[in-house]
Amino acid sequence: MKYFLQVEGGRNFEIEVEDGVGGHCVVHVGGRQLEADFLDVDRLGQYTAILNGRSFAASIEEDDAQHLRVNIAGETFTVVAMDEREKAAGDVAAQSGPKAEVIKASMPGVLISVTAKEGDLLSPGEAVAVLEAMKMQNEVACQHGGVVAEVLVEAGQSVDANQVLLRLQPPPAED
Amino acid sequence: MSVEARPIRKLLIANRGEIAVRIQRSCRDLGIETVAIYSDVDRHALHVRYANEAYPLGGNTPAESYLRADRILQIAKRCKVDAIHPGFGFLAENGEFAQAVAAAGMCFVGPSAHAMAVMGDKLASRQAMLAAKVPVVPGGTEAVADVQAAKKAAAAIGYPVMLKASAGGGGKGIRVVPCAEDMEAAFLTASGEAQNAFGDGRMYLEKYLLEPRHIEIQVLGDLHGNVLHFGERECSLQRRHQKLIEEAPSPIIDEETRQRMGEAAVAAAKAVDYHSAGTVEFLWSQGEFYFLEMNTRIQVEHGITEEVYGVDLIAQMIRIAAGESIADCVGCMPRGHAIEVRLNAEDPENQFMPSLGTIRNLRWPGGPGVRIDSGVYRSMEVTPYYDSMLAKLIAYGSTREQARRRMLRVLQELHVGGVKTSAGIALQVLQTEAFRSGQYDTGFLEKFMEQRQQLPIARDIPDDLEEVAAVVAALHRQKTAARRVLAQPSSAQANPWLLAARREQHGGVCS
Repeated sequence: MKYFLQVEGGRNFEIEVEDGVGGHCVVHVGGRQLEADFLDVDRLGQYTAILNGRSFAASIEEDDAQHLRVNIAGETFTVVAMDEREKAAGDVAAQSGPKAEVIKASMPGVLISVTAKEGDLLSPGEAVAVLEAMKMQNEVACQHGGVVAEVLVEAGQSVDANQVLLRLQPPPAED
Repeated sequence: MSVEARPIRKLLIANRGEIAVRIQRSCRDLGIETVAIYSDVDRHALHVRYANEAYPLGGNTPAESYLRADRILQIAKRCKVDAIHPGFGFLAENGEFAQAVAAAGMCFVGPSAHAMAVMGDKLASRQAMLAAKVPVVPGGTEAVADVQAAKKAAAAIGYPVMLKASAGGGGKGIRVVPCAEDMEAAFLTASGEAQNAFGDGRMYLEKYLLEPRHIEIQVLGDLHGNVLHFGERECSLQRRHQKLIEEAPSPIIDEETRQRMGEAAVAAAKAVDYHSAGTVEFLWSQGEFYFLEMNTRIQVEHGITEEVYGVDLIAQMIRIAAGESIADCVGCMPRGHAIEVRLNAEDPENQFMPSLGTIRNLRWPGGPGVRIDSGVYRSMEVTPYYDSMLAKLIAYGSTREQARRRMLRVLQELHVGGVKTSAGIALQVLQTEAFRSGQYDTGFLEKFMEQRQQLPIARDIPDDLEEVAAVVAALHRQKTAARRVLAQPSSAQANPWLLAARREQHGGVCS
């Protein structure tokens, strides 16, 4: 099978994994061929990989099949791993233009203030609220920006992780 | 001075997590029984399991649990402890609590309420230090009433200025204000944060020093009037005033400066008749040092001083509370170098926001020169109720470079899953030229976080780990795809037992 991998903040890779026996298989990456031996150690997320004789202890956490966090030798890489079918579906979705943004609480806490109001035009990265958790106040910011369509929370309110705080519409097109 | 010796045989620890376990360990070494207290979410915590006795406080938030001085005293009296150690945070710097403990006939393992009161108030401590001829940072000693007063005071000192909470600590309620236009927003958020955290929103101003380093001196004082210092800790690698990496000794402090800073720290402690363990924090800038504050408690990073001086500071605190003298520590000399990394449950890619979850994939490092002080266990829930620190990783070496190499090893061996941690960033920082050369200030970590994608890192790790991670991810997908195919029900009445058995048979196959 062929896989398309994007390392967050890093490079993209196209990797072909040939069928093998046991943990053994052959991997093609960047025009090179690797003899791989890859085994699940404890069924709890720890893996051992030997690639052309070099040994790596990895731990892997899965958000879902495509979204992985791989920890090797103290460094954590956030990886989006797609097979050919998923890649094709992703390419189609990417062509459908800018998307509406949803701003969520990244953790449970109490909203100290909510500064964005309906109709505000937000630039990318602009702060919309202040959330207090673990005794620290943290700014909540939008990613892509846009026009605030809906404010679903108010200051003083407790929120859960991933609770939707605001909905944005794409910014008006520039001519 | 005559001090009545009061043997301590049983001690209650008014804290949780890593520091509670740390105190229990010293108690074990001293043959002292320990009593733990716990909130509802902490029923499984290590400090409960390591204790000789454990009693519930109820509740989850600090206010409902570890800040309930009344309940803690009740438990202490009921199980007849000789002493209470407050750890750090919670009630550690609460003078009323210290007095209540003493009034109930028990030893408070910490300084006097008077020392806490003076040093806990930034303005009062500045005035006391000025009187004791300890150098302080230029700035006002009066709290500023509002934004207008703050602007006026800042103009007199000259921008940039630091805006600080009078009752502050732990980085809350502190802002750097580069110019007058930013004062209003900074004043309101910092004052609000201070009001929330300490119930006191008063603010004051200080000159913001150029390329400052945060260097602190560990002191111990006893009830016989002895005060000793145990050298410095370099704590400049911090972000939003939360420390990430500390080391002892500081790479830029020479013997002569160490003596001068040590003497200033001892003078600071003596000015408030200090006893127990304490830390005098200084800002060091261009060869000069200035008193910042004194923390009247044991500090998170005490372990690196312990490694370098071969002293157990927690055990010393308990001995001091029991009325013993620290005269036997005179002449304690530093040896070698120690580095600490704070393992916090936080997301460096997302402004170091706390990262909550269940701990999985836990693998601790070991080997020569490694010390792990931790409160973490597999399947532990990281909750929003308490501090995000999971563990302290300490590497000791006979030289700074050996300690650095050992810390790289520690961070490579460590695995913590289920939450995001500060370990990866620490690993990168340890490999920067700034860290290798020791030329860094308190602004370095912030700058590093902004620029690290562009910065060339002289890496100690030879492999292209990014490619390895991609290959591992691809292998993982292939493996799980194979498993999912095998787990597909073959008919409508698929039997889960059969499926499980089939999965077990084929589980080891990487097709």
